Amino acid sequence: MKNPVIEFHDFGFRYASQSEPTLHGINLTIFEGEKVLILGPSGSGKSTLANCINGLIPFSFKGESTGEVKVAGMDTRHAGIFSLSKHVGTVLQDSDAQFVALSVGEDIAFALENQAVKRSMMIPQVIAAASIVGMQDFLNHVPYALSGGQKQKVSLAGVLHEHVDIVLFDEPLASLDPKAGMHAVELIDDIHSQGKTVVIIEHRLEDVLHREVDRILVMDEGRIVFDGDADTLLCGKLLPEIGIREPLFITQMHHAGCVLHADDHPSSVTRFNLDPYRDSLLNFIQTEIQPKAHYPGEVLIEATNVRFSYDTQEAIKNISFQVRKGEKIAFIGKNGAGKSTMAKLLCGIVRPDHGSITYQKTDLKTWSIREIGEKIGFVMQNPNQMLVKNIIKEEVAFALTLRNLPQSEIDERVQRALTVCGLWPMRNWPVSAVSYGQRKRITVAAMLALDTEVLILDEPTAGQDYRHYTEIMDFLDDLNRQTGITIIFITHDMHLAIEYTDRAIVFADGEKIADDLVVEVLSDNEIIEKANLKQTSLYTLALRLGLPAQTLVDHFIGHEREVKIHE
Amino acid sequence: MSKRIFINIVPGKTFLHRLSGKTKVGLFIVCIVYTIMSFDLRLLAPLMFLSLIAIVSLKPDWKVIIVLFIAIFLMNFFNIFLYWVVKPNIGSEWTGGTSTILYSFSSYYFVSLETLWYLLVRLFKMLTSFAVSMAFILSITPSELASGLHGLGVPYKICTVVSLAFRYIPDISRDYENIKVSMQARGVEMDLRKTPILKRLKQTIYILFPLIITSFDRIGNIANALDLRGYGLKKDRTYYAEVEPTMMDRFFRWSTLALFIFCLAWIVSRNIWEPATKMWFPFEV
Repeated sequence: MKNPVIEFHDFGFRYASQSEPTLHGINLTIFEGEKVLILGPSGSGKSTLANCINGLIPFSFKGESTGEVKVAGMDTRHAGIFSLSKHVGTVLQDSDAQFVALSVGEDIAFALENQAVKRSMMIPQVIAAASIVGMQDFLNHVPYALSGGQKQKVSLAGVLHEHVDIVLFDEPLASLDPKAGMHAVELIDDIHSQGKTVVIIEHRLEDVLHREVDRILVMDEGRIVFDGDADTLLCGKLLPEIGIREPLFITQMHHAGCVLHADDHPSSVTRFNLDPYRDSLLNFIQTEIQPKAHYPGEVLIEATNVRFSYDTQEAIKNISFQVRKGEKIAFIGKNGAGKSTMAKLLCGIVRPDHGSITYQKTDLKTWSIREIGEKIGFVMQNPNQMLVKNIIKEEVAFALTLRNLPQSEIDERVQRALTVCGLWPMRNWPVSAVSYGQRKRITVAAMLALDTEVLILDEPTAGQDYRHYTEIMDFLDDLNRQTGITIIFITHDMHLAIEYTDRAIVFADGEKIADDLVVEVLSDNEIIEKANLKQTSLYTLALRLGLPAQTLVDHFIGHEREVKIHE
Repeated sequence: MSKRIFINIVPGKTFLHRLSGKTKVGLFIVCIVYTIMSFDLRLLAPLMFLSLIAIVSLKPDWKVIIVLFIAIFLMNFFNIFLYWVVKPNIGSEWTGGTSTILYSFSSYYFVSLETLWYLLVRLFKMLTSFAVSMAFILSITPSELASGLHGLGVPYKICTVVSLAFRYIPDISRDYENIKVSMQARGVEMDLRKTPILKRLKQTIYILFPLIITSFDRIGNIANALDLRGYGLKKDRTYYAEVEPTMMDRFFRWSTLALFIFCLAWIVSRNIWEPATKMWFPFEV
């Protein structure tokens, strides 16, 4: 029997600022060398649980606790965050905030500096930690020149010193693109195989399962509702109930009417025993699916041979495409591929060096940013960066007031926009009182009030759990159906592209490498490789079944659509 | 980043770059004291000369430096010009009362050798402090500045504020840019030509408000990140950026000390013991 390193006994916790406890009756033991995933939707208490392990509770977040927590044999209430930090390393979700120093080496050394380790002793430790994560050649690099994945590696190296034997990852995948996320999961697995106890807090189950985990704890409403292995979890019905997304291929198998058995190891798309399910799956793709009705509207936006450079760096290399009225388009590509720059070009934030962008045949260069803003609305990833007013109604009216429209018209437009977004009953609420998803809606409503005909959304679901993801995306989908508004999603989320868009334009290194129906794009492995994206598990499933990926993806989308219509 | 900031973040490779932070901060402070106390070309000229050598040895990007130098020069030139306008005979008060008139516009406005000398020294003093600061800024990274200040006895929490500020200024300015364009797209007009300055100032609030909100979120995260890695654990702290002193460091530290003693002696003798009323003037009759 291995030693327990983290123990919760009848633990409960209530934040001082809240009236209800966030955690109730937690009983949990994690043993030395285990790799545990703590899964749960936003607000389930999983981050609070993590903060109890690393000592931020009770050090930084005050509140009332019952029961006890022991980490590395110490009671966290008395041990203090500093003694705990010698045993528990925490990698935070926001790798930008965690990168507190001005170079890679210095950041890795940060914990050692705080322990007043002599520099001569520090250097070898920094190099050793950097080597574990593969950043030893970057010691002099500044944070601004690193990708999200590299920053996270540095954060990890920064906590891997001497006595740290428990590594806690708080939503490690939230700010990474899928390929970088996959590498992060592999790196976490390497750390685990070196004998560290690993605790991962996440809601992106499929991505974490890219490498095996020993145990999964599922949290919901402050309680642990499941404690077992991944295979058992996937065979049950718990995940959809609490709003956690199952792996895509599991959803597909459910669509096909398969009843999964834990013995077949459904937690891994590459290793599970497919034989008992083969027939159902093959039957499933025989069923007729309604071909998607596609009504190409008039051409709204036309980009022709657009080129753009930042200083000397060519960001957009000769790109042409069309956007038609009422379309839902995904701009996909990994971070830095040029998709955001393209969006900025469409909004007039930056202007093409060569080539032209027209809107209903008018060249955008004849319009100011403000005029373009009345046609093409840009919704930033973080709604907090867009909200300036205190009251929801005022926020939506903001752009109209700036344009000096008559009050009666402002009122009318605001009412219309808020009604469409389902925010009319909340119109007098303060912006600060509503959830993240609702803030996103406010920013969308602000665009709609301007009568924009095209919405560009930058990573609309970044950092959101499945429930909020569905909420935001279904809202946008309805909006598209009701008002015929054209929507462009900038994303690296393949699931989003599959489920909610008609067409995908794929960017890689500033070039457009594909522009086709989502099904076609996603079943083309060459494009996915070239764009440095991650293939979905549907593709792997199709390969294993010896089917063309397109057939499977087609049926998947068709089925999802039908289910949605029936709802 | 499109606009390169002019400070170094990565330590450079030249001889001055490689000195430790403590040496550089110490030397800089003493040089600034030296510049402030001296109103004497015999003292200023050697420092100016050494600073220029230092700047050259640091192999800087000359374009930026020349632009800055011209700006500083013009500003200070204008400054001494105003001195002359207000008091054309100001030099005589410092050189012993004589006025050697070189050119005269009227009975009040004239150019005297004494005033010219006085104003020249004043300008030279400003330019010397510019050269010293420039050499310092070019030679040091923010991390070395923090470690150097700590090495000289400044509490490390203050040093951390300095280095954190350098760390997050680019992030905040990126947020600022993002918010600005989103506001522009919503109709806040920020075109320099179309909007009067007062209105533009007022509109800055539309950017600052979201910026403050997002920055507060970040501050909370940074504070947690600091705590989780044991920041504030001990009374003292070491610095990765503080390289071990070499022979050169020792040489510079002794020189700094010598210069410091000289400064003390000078200040005591010329300002406290027997306050000097005259400056050095080589053309005295």
